[in-house]
Amino acid sequence: MLTPIVLIASPLFFALLVRVGGVMVRNVVAILSVFILMGLSVVNFFSLPNTLEISIPHQSHYIFLFIDSVLLLYFLWQGFIKKHKLVMLFALVQIILYSIVIYLSPTLISNDILVDKISSVMYLIINIVGGVIIIYALGYIEEENFSRCKKNKFIAMLFFFLSIMNFIVSTNNIEIFFLLFELTTLCSYLLIAYREDEVSVQNSLKALWMNQIGGVAILLALIVSIVQYDTLYFDILISNIDESYLLPISLLAIAAFVKGASIPFDKWLLGAMVAPTPVSAILHSATMVKIAPYLMLKLAPAMSGFVSVTITLIGTFVFFSASLLALSKDYFKEILGLSTIALLGLMMALATIGSEEATKACLVLIVFHAISKALLFLQAGILEKVNHLKYIDDINGLINHSPLVVFFIVIGFASLSLPPFGAFIAKFMAIESIANEITANPIYVLALIFIALGSVFLTLLYFKVVTKLFAKDVNSSKEEHQEIPKLYTIPSFLLLIFLVIGIYISLEMELLSNSEIIVPFVLIAVVPLLFATLVFKKAHRVKEYHCGEKDELQLSMYYFDIPEVYEKAIGGVGVVAMVLLVVGVIVK
Amino acid sequence: MLEAVVVIIAPIIGGLIYGFERVVCARMQNRQGPPLLQPFYDMGKLIDKQALIINPYHSILGIMHFVTLWVVVAFIILGQNLLYVIFLHLLSSIFLILAGFSVKSIFSHIGANRELMSVIAYEPILIMLAVGFYLINGSFDISVIRDNPPQILQLFFLFLAFLMVIQIKLKKSPFDATEAHQEIVGGVEIEFSGVFFEFLYMAKWLEYVFVYLLLSLFAGDNLALGFGLFIGVFFLVNLVDNATARIKINHLIKIVLMIGLTFGMLNLVGLSYV
Amino acid sequence: MFNLKKYRKRSPWILHYNAGSCNGCDIEILASLSPKYDLERFGIINTGNPKQSDIFLVTGPVTYRSRERLIELYIQMPEPKVVVAVGSCSCTGGVFRGMYNVEDGVDRYIPVDVYISGCATSPELIIDGLVKGLEILEKKTKSMEKPSKLFKDTTSREGIVSRRESALRVGEERDEEN
Repeated sequence: MLTPIVLIASPLFFALLVRVGGVMVRNVVAILSVFILMGLSVVNFFSLPNTLEISIPHQSHYIFLFIDSVLLLYFLWQGFIKKHKLVMLFALVQIILYSIVIYLSPTLISNDILVDKISSVMYLIINIVGGVIIIYALGYIEEENFSRCKKNKFIAMLFFFLSIMNFIVSTNNIEIFFLLFELTTLCSYLLIAYREDEVSVQNSLKALWMNQIGGVAILLALIVSIVQYDTLYFDILISNIDESYLLPISLLAIAAFVKGASIPFDKWLLGAMVAPTPVSAILHSATMVKIAPYLMLKLAPAMSGFVSVTITLIGTFVFFSASLLALSKDYFKEILGLSTIALLGLMMALATIGSEEATKACLVLIVFHAISKALLFLQAGILEKVNHLKYIDDINGLINHSPLVVFFIVIGFASLSLPPFGAFIAKFMAIESIANEITANPIYVLALIFIALGSVFLTLLYFKVVTKLFAKDVNSSKEEHQEIPKLYTIPSFLLLIFLVIGIYISLEMELLSNSEIIVPFVLIAVVPLLFATLVFKKAHRVKEYHCGEKDELQLSMYYFDIPEVYEKAIGGVGVVAMVLLVVGVIVK
Repeated sequence: MLEAVVVIIAPIIGGLIYGFERVVCARMQNRQGPPLLQPFYDMGKLIDKQALIINPYHSILGIMHFVTLWVVVAFIILGQNLLYVIFLHLLSSIFLILAGFSVKSIFSHIGANRELMSVIAYEPILIMLAVGFYLINGSFDISVIRDNPPQILQLFFLFLAFLMVIQIKLKKSPFDATEAHQEIVGGVEIEFSGVFFEFLYMAKWLEYVFVYLLLSLFAGDNLALGFGLFIGVFFLVNLVDNATARIKINHLIKIVLMIGLTFGMLNLVGLSYV
Repeated sequence: MFNLKKYRKRSPWILHYNAGSCNGCDIEILASLSPKYDLERFGIINTGNPKQSDIFLVTGPVTYRSRERLIELYIQMPEPKVVVAVGSCSCTGGVFRGMYNVEDGVDRYIPVDVYISGCATSPELIIDGLVKGLEILEKKTKSMEKPSKLFKDTTSREGIVSRRESALRVGEERDEEN
């Protein structure tokens, strides 16, 4: 019954544990802790009743108040010493707004912690995928040139982050939600700046001020909610919602867009890619940014009419334009980042539609996206550390020396775009549920077109990268293969297993009929291999056709040049849409 | 039972259509043209050739392309989910593209690249087509679509957009830049030979079956109309093929996306008002 | 079991290579593919790709520059295959015979099955020659045919025959002997 509380509290304890000790001790402690967390989240998923409500004693709110004040002052101070005006400005605005919130006292009280099925699913993602990434980080961080203390601090911070994430998906109090939102911003800020070089610091400050916009939005939502609805609890707000006064909802949605790095807030997530790869994996693709679709799922019952349509359109627009922008990038992690932004947009759109099917699709997408992106980021880290590659231009013919990495990358990309994987099923269901909405409101045709184009662009993007890996030299032999440390490969294999389990579950859920999925894949896998064993021995190996010339082909990557005007236009549309979301609600 | 037989002989049907098309094309150019069974003669010959391969991945991906396409056709005939069929068809194209990129050959790379670009052009239209059918029938199931009366009038604009997709998929002028036989020697198919080329050759026939089966969905339960549509579009496609010149790949994307998306959007918005 | 050999005759695909010709014969070859002579009625397609071809149509007297390409293309054609030398130049060197920059005909380098004479040759002769070539094609086996010069024997690793390094450049051959 109390597993949620344990899930929230225990990572804090583990974080203290891993601070001490040498590499071996730390690794053993961390791996054990991760497995405990994984086990707990699984137990919680199967044992939890539909909803679990826990009330925190009122006195403890003062602790939250204290942490929050310290945090906001810390942001202000950081802005001051780093001489960043925007950070200072937003920190000040937040301090003012927060004091207003404290001053107002609402009367309608509910429970502080509310754990429902969606929260349990989020626990699974946070602890299992996050845990695997922490195991990976144990190996990764040893390759960096830092003191032992700082390395341990890194691992401790990741555990601390897990605790925050577990808390944020179980809270029902918007004020606590605000505090945790700011704490994730803090984690993001500290971890991006972890390497302490100039670019990292710049990008961390960018992440800080952009995320603070989200904080401001939540505070405004809080004030409006207290004034209008006399509450600061999600469930009361949602059940008492008045359709003609959706301002708190749309403000919270903007906070979600900020956290989900939707256009126009996409710059912070792209900047965040300078952080160590486990950070990119855990914060900026697998778990933290998932707050955005989670919040949307939570708010979906309260959305209707204008807000719902606008958010769906913004989400699908982000899906389309982020995947378009990704086509011109060549930094591997940046490509992954943009595709994360795109898929987050899709998730938010799906969450907003709110029909049962769309919600299911959203959850499936959240789960599979977390696993696949974690897998891909791990490979990005391996490429960086083992093969010393960062740009897709250089990954030519990787299959010749790192077939395992290529295998994982291909699986990762395939699981984001192809059947039988969940992300595909989700996209499939997305089109189906939007097609349903078109009959009610023709403007959803636009959303449909965005999804259709976006999914094609994403497929194009993934396979543009994948094709690059494949160009095999026929004469390569096994000796050229590169050794990859165990701490890198084991997490990848773990994620692969989760992916398979995911497929199994999605088959059990019968999202698509089983024969539709199984039959083709058995055929596609078996027939060519049978054929291969029969014929390949007898076949002669020849050269490629180069019009009779003997020269070898030099391979290079192709990019799709997207003019700056388009990029600006996309950003502009994003800003206009955000303004419209707020103004539209007020005017109505 | 009948359906199972049709699934198994689907490549043969495709081969006959292809053979017939070569005859029709020749007659349009005032030639005699090859015999009707020419594709099968080619096939017999290709089995008998010495097999040459560049690398195993390349050949396996080519076969996977064929198998996937056959599954796609089978699913249409068996009346499965239309949207799923379209995505599976995308998968088959991706196998072909991967095959094209897996060898270090210039023409193969150019061809695969163009194939990828043409996917951008036609895939959204196919998805919109599926949604159009969904709006009328309330289901993506092909068996349901086949049981309802003809839908070509409600989906007329999407039908026009689909005509362009046919030209791309069957590699007919003006939208044949993906294959462009005189220019890049067939693009992706260039490095396949012997038995392996045969799979690609048969995949081409299956592509015929695929597009004409999709076309027949417009006719719903009316078999005569379906056949009439097939004959009419068949001649139209070949006439356009013989009468026009090839356009560049970037123009192809622009033209097809602009016209296709506009038509599709008009049609879907119209349908939602009806 | 089917006799697949009979299909060879019904679907010969050609590869046309100009080894330094004056383009006279090339135009005749294209003319024979055009509606008037319509070679496609025999199932003939001009593929332009050695890997899918059965008949190698060579025009021209084989200049020094084109020798290596000729060998490379020949090796890349899968067996059974037939070489047809089109025009006097490719048969004997024609008017270029004995010149310092030509090799006097295709058969110095690769085995030729059919010789079609004429300067330039005519579409009727090409059709006759091709039909003759088809008869030879039907009798051929799938065992590998080798060019007579600029050829290193195929290497085989783990039982897999590789033709990748078989075509040599001019000069490479002599190095091998030394």
